[in-house]
Amino acid sequence: MQFRIDRHCAWAPTLDTDASWQAWTRKPVTVPDNNEQPSCDFLPAMQRRRLSRLARMTMHVAWPLCSEDEQLPFVFASRHGETPRTFALLGEVAEGQPLSPTQFGLSVHNAIAGQWSMLRGQRGESVAVAGEADTFEHAMVEAAALLGDGAKAVLVVIAEERPPVAYDDWIDDVPFSYAVALRLRGIEPEHDAQTGERWKLRLEPNPGTSATGAWPHALSFVRALHTGGSTLVHAWKTRRWIWQRIP
Amino acid sequence: MNALQQEIAQLIIDTLNLEDVTVADISPDLPLFGEGLGLDSVDALELALALQKRYDIRIASDSKDARQHFTTVASLASFVQAQRDACAN
Repeated sequence: MQFRIDRHCAWAPTLDTDASWQAWTRKPVTVPDNNEQPSCDFLPAMQRRRLSRLARMTMHVAWPLCSEDEQLPFVFASRHGETPRTFALLGEVAEGQPLSPTQFGLSVHNAIAGQWSMLRGQRGESVAVAGEADTFEHAMVEAAALLGDGAKAVLVVIAEERPPVAYDDWIDDVPFSYAVALRLRGIEPEHDAQTGERWKLRLEPNPGTSATGAWPHALSFVRALHTGGSTLVHAWKTRRWIWQRIP
Repeated sequence: MNALQQEIAQLIIDTLNLEDVTVADISPDLPLFGEGLGLDSVDALELALALQKRYDIRIASDSKDARQHFTTVASLASFVQAQRDACAN
């Protein structure tokens, strides 16, 4: 798979500017997550009222990458989805309380992709993916398929939210909430004239020699975009994803 | 606006997460749905649930009167008051 990355945008608590991501790239740390969320004040309040924290994070990073009059296929990827919402609903079930129609209606993995579609008037393809720790790469496979099918560009968002404490024993790959959006194109033969960074992604079997990375794959990719790093190896179970920058 | 009307206006704001709206913005006769406050059918379900929990009343979802009760804060307040009076008797 080959991609050209036109633009990217990332958000995490306290990390909302290019300069702050540069600093994080030089010295990656687990930033404190105090439930901060982007304001999304580009939307009227009546349209914001049903956006959860994860939805706001997604809108915030995706919004600037799609022009006003543009239709872009959309890939939403999240390994864990909206765990706070699920946990709250399960609590109400356990207490025998009636469920909130709004919360129940939005408790599906493609709800945020649906909200994106409505708020931006997007009528094209949209995919919601939940994979394992390499959900990021699986989202790229979806994007490659859409580009292969003729899409001129694809918008990919990977978003994860710190889960409620009750999930601590099971979820250990979300050090803090984050969202990353990438605007992707294919690579055409005369690529010298094209802007954007070019990357190649391939999948190999993992013979067990590569350890799982310290940071979520999407965040280590953001680091590579900032450092100009040329190779990334993301291993997960039997899979080894090799990212290579095309000079 | 009487106390119950104010309480219901605040309940609408809190339940439906209307961050830019205050109680003073929702006059008792302002239509809640469509033109007016701009609520929709999902809001109606959510509001019905909140009213049932808060005032311990029952709202039959197939009731022909439900649409009438949900027209404005004033009509909701009369409905809640009528339900309370019925329970008290």
